[in-house]
Amino acid sequence: MLDYSRCKCVGVQVQDDGYRVVSGVLEDELYAMQCEIVVNWPELTIEKIRTRMKRFTTERCLRAEDVFVKAEGWKLDSQLEGRIKKELGRHGCRHMAILMVDCCRSLARSELARELRAALEKQPDIDTKQFLDDFFSRYPGLVQYLQLQ
Amino acid sequence: MIHHFQMNSLTTVEGVGNGTWRVITRYDDDLFSAELALEVKAPALDIRSARLDVKRDALNAARNLDQVAGKLLGVRVGPGMTKIVRGVVGGPQGSDRMAELVLESMEMLINAITVPEIRKAIEKAGVSLERNVGTSGIDLNDRVMGEKMVGLMSENPRLKDSCAAFRNISG
Repeated sequence: MLDYSRCKCVGVQVQDDGYRVVSGVLEDELYAMQCEIVVNWPELTIEKIRTRMKRFTTERCLRAEDVFVKAEGWKLDSQLEGRIKKELGRHGCRHMAILMVDCCRSLARSELARELRAALEKQPDIDTKQFLDDFFSRYPGLVQYLQLQ
Repeated sequence: MIHHFQMNSLTTVEGVGNGTWRVITRYDDDLFSAELALEVKAPALDIRSARLDVKRDALNAARNLDQVAGKLLGVRVGPGMTKIVRGVVGGPQGSDRMAELVLESMEMLINAITVPEIRKAIEKAGVSLERNVGTSGIDLNDRVMGEKMVGLMSENPRLKDSCAAFRNISG
């Protein structure tokens, strides 16, 4: 019999060309929560974030929702993942912080996937190393979120 | 609105007898798909077997990970595991992505072991939550741990100051 399971789903949309909207959900035996983030593109700034603690274990868990709003104005850069875990996770909710990091990684990977699709349509035998080098040079702030290795 | 990109991850934890837990994490997105299977034995909670399958890698960017699974044998689920796994699996010559998968699997085993205790705590000393948070009007939190139980749990160094629930505990 199954003792525990955790499911996480993240989706990324392109809206009005200048924005990316990332939505994530996490469900397991103990918790259910969701996170929605609007990111300005290509500035990579978090314009708006809303989190919802749906199912949790203590009456204090709801306090986390107010903590995550602090991320508005933060930029997707090399410091962000650490800030999410330390400033939001430890003062809010570690599980929501994990979901938010997954949302940021998915945003970076979605841009790479979109550009890769477009490049492959033009040239099916694309040099992937050159493609990646080009992508990294244009979006250095996203490199650590891509987790290609 | 149609998604331009989708990521799914599922971790399952299952007791398979003789004090052994099987933990399987599957990750899938548009670019990459992999599955990690660990077997962990109580009471030391050391990894007895590890299998890693990369099922899809659109960019062929993942390093050869043949050695990764073997390096995990003997690593224990518990204090210090983050540093150990990042050292053994991640880093410039390793795979940070795989290290994350391993750590996620180990964290979920800890959660699985914790669930019966949390269930007991809520059954014995749970409190009703005044605020109904469900926009649907359906309450998903009819009983949760109250201040007294949170105070007791916050004495655990792993939990103290770890999140909003275990910060600023009075008395």
